[in-house]
Amino acid sequence: MTDEVMFAELHCAQCDQETLHALVYAGRLLVSATCQKCSMQVKHEPGDLRLQYIKDLEHRIATKPARLWRRFWRAPIRLMWSLPRKVMQQPNKIWNEVKALFR
Amino acid sequence: MKIAVVVLAAGSGLRFGNVTNKVWLPLGGRRIISRSLTNATKSFANCRTVLVINPIDAFLANQVLGREAPQVHVELVNGGETRHESEYNALMHLAPSILGGSINLVLIHDGARPLATSMLFHAVAWTALRHGGALPAIAVDPLEIDITTDDQIVRVQTPQAFRAKDLLSAYQQAHRDNFVGTDTAACMERYFPDVENIAVTGEVQNVKITYPQDLVIAEHVLEMRGYKE
Repeated sequence: MTDEVMFAELHCAQCDQETLHALVYAGRLLVSATCQKCSMQVKHEPGDLRLQYIKDLEHRIATKPARLWRRFWRAPIRLMWSLPRKVMQQPNKIWNEVKALFR
Repeated sequence: MKIAVVVLAAGSGLRFGNVTNKVWLPLGGRRIISRSLTNATKSFANCRTVLVINPIDAFLANQVLGREAPQVHVELVNGGETRHESEYNALMHLAPSILGGSINLVLIHDGARPLATSMLFHAVAWTALRHGGALPAIAVDPLEIDITTDDQIVRVQTPQAFRAKDLLSAYQQAHRDNFVGTDTAACMERYFPDVENIAVTGEVQNVKITYPQDLVIAEHVLEMRGYKE
């Protein structure tokens, strides 16, 4: 649904001001947020996150049919048009998420 | 009860290249603002929903809301330089309906609080309807802040709700006086000091996304709720 890396302004506890942060995501989960000024990084414990990712992936797979169904009813032509491309992209997307978890 | 919900998402700060306003960040598979909007509207049937945005986010807003909150009919309003100005713009957008009597209560909610439950919205709305105004608050131990005081100190949250005509009138007067309030309640207290503004018990989990750590906390809360609210 989103880019794997996003940039946003958040309050850095170390700089004590709003600074630009780089946020890395693996699927629905935030892997890390790094202040672009002082490099302070907020992240989950890697082991916790990997377990959480597996649970989350199971949830994503389990809810995918219902989500696709809702999207089909909302915009059937758009979904049918974009589905083949999205299916082709899935392996690469998952691979990038796994890479982000082990970075 | 004829309600309008105003969700503030104009933000301030930098916007360039691929830098996004924090309310458009993903949280548990959906954007923060989609969660704030759906929680805000699901406990009220037929409420008006106004989303105050930075004009440069208009395209993103249409794209994201169409995908993530298609059930919510959202009216987009451009925000101002300050939170107060954004609230004023939203109220001016609603003014004809407020003056015409088709809206009698306005709830104002911070878009960066995606975890406020529909129960909280409901509690605030009903209290405001009975007393004139309501806001959620969490009691803080005064000793954590100042050891010389034993006053009651509270941490105020949103949504904050007020009777629509009073609120509109307060913001119109503030606009004429160039008064800028820190939040909705501050403006109401200045122009309608007699209106009771009742504190409803807030929710500890109703965090405002400010620090990156808040995103991690919010993710855990959502996971506990099964990503439902």
